[in-house]
Amino acid sequence: MRHRLLGVMLAAAVLATASVLSAHHSVAGQFDLSKQVTLKGVVSKVDWVNPHIYLHLDVKGDDGRVVTWSLGTVPTAMARRGGLTRESIAGASGEVVTVECNPARNGTEHLGWVKTITYADGRRYELSGR
Amino acid sequence: MTHRLIRRWLPAAACAAAIVAPAALTAQAPPRGSAELLAQLSAKATPRLSGKPDLNGTWDHLGGIEFIRPTKLPDGSVCIRGCAPPAGAPRPVPAPAAAPRPAAAPPAPLFPKYKPEFLAKVKDLSARQVETDSGLRCMAPGLPRLGPPGKIIQTAKEVVFLYDDVNGAFFRIIPVDGRKTYRKDMPASYLGDSIGRFEGDTLVVETTNFNDDTWLTDNGAFHTTDLKVVERLRRVGDTIEYTATSHDPAVLVEPWNSKPYTMWITSQELEEPARCEDRDLDHVVDGTHHDNPR
Repeated sequence: MRHRLLGVMLAAAVLATASVLSAHHSVAGQFDLSKQVTLKGVVSKVDWVNPHIYLHLDVKGDDGRVVTWSLGTVPTAMARRGGLTRESIAGASGEVVTVECNPARNGTEHLGWVKTITYADGRRYELSGR
Repeated sequence: MTHRLIRRWLPAAACAAAIVAPAALTAQAPPRGSAELLAQLSAKATPRLSGKPDLNGTWDHLGGIEFIRPTKLPDGSVCIRGCAPPAGAPRPVPAPAAAPRPAAAPPAPLFPKYKPEFLAKVKDLSARQVETDSGLRCMAPGLPRLGPPGKIIQTAKEVVFLYDDVNGAFFRIIPVDGRKTYRKDMPASYLGDSIGRFEGDTLVVETTNFNDDTWLTDNGAFHTTDLKVVERLRRVGDTIEYTATSHDPAVLVEPWNSKPYTMWITSQELEEPARCEDRDLDHVVDGTHHDNPR
């Protein structure tokens, strides 16, 4: 019965979508999965595009200068399966979120792959494993 | 780190279980895509339309992302991938059993069998897939890589296949009016030109006039413009058994049967897929890619 309970709980979280995934390049080919960067900033824009959603995170440095990071994450169909929307990923206007991400392997600055996003209310999106 | 995850997910998971328990006690529907569900649906009567099997409907086949098993907790937290199992929680329920293959379909080899003189080309294309695979650049994936249609609209004279693919929204218009010849002066295309016919209760779709920009599957599985793809769709109750066979004798040793599917009817309507816009490939430092054969 307990197994059945968890199964129902998981099933309840699943949104039906019919989109099909293409073959795609490896995340490890683009991002250094052995390194992790933690950012605090405001999501200024979410590009709800395939094959990967990209969010823009405005991060204020110690010198007060704001730098915008471009952060890739899961395809839209996967986000939908988890019940995530452009709005839920963006958070409230001006909300400071914490993002754990992997940096680009080719040295491109301010480019990363989202691992987790934690919002001011404590909710946390784990998007790419640990 | 582990302790932090346990502290975070355990109370929430317990809470979620409590919330869903009443529903669980009454929930009887087998999991989406499970063999049990497909058995129930295939046992139903097969609807007919003008004497032919009625293929109309929106059809689910788990969309190729059946491996995604998200968890969503009451505090709004969501884990899409790599989710840590809550401490003390029951073991995760295994993914739904694979849909049974049509009895007539032989097991699908993972890769087409190429003539020896083309193996080096396949190897080279595969090694450079990030550069050479148009499917990675938001182009139509071609057949059979596109997989089964997400929705079918059927009239007495034509059948329309609709797709909401990660690479875009695609359609195919397939005449079933008895014609034997393909349209003339049509440019070669990603999804080709199709003619359909019913053989008993099976819709057979033969497609030619492809360009050679697409692959049959991952890893350099190129084809020529002489490719012919034969798809068979057999409605069984509220399911459709779908197979596709690729014929390209100039480069293949034998016709290739790609992965067969069992689709089942769903009330979940197709959606316009998000715009496909690759922003990644220019930043890939090596040729690594993951396989996701359709």
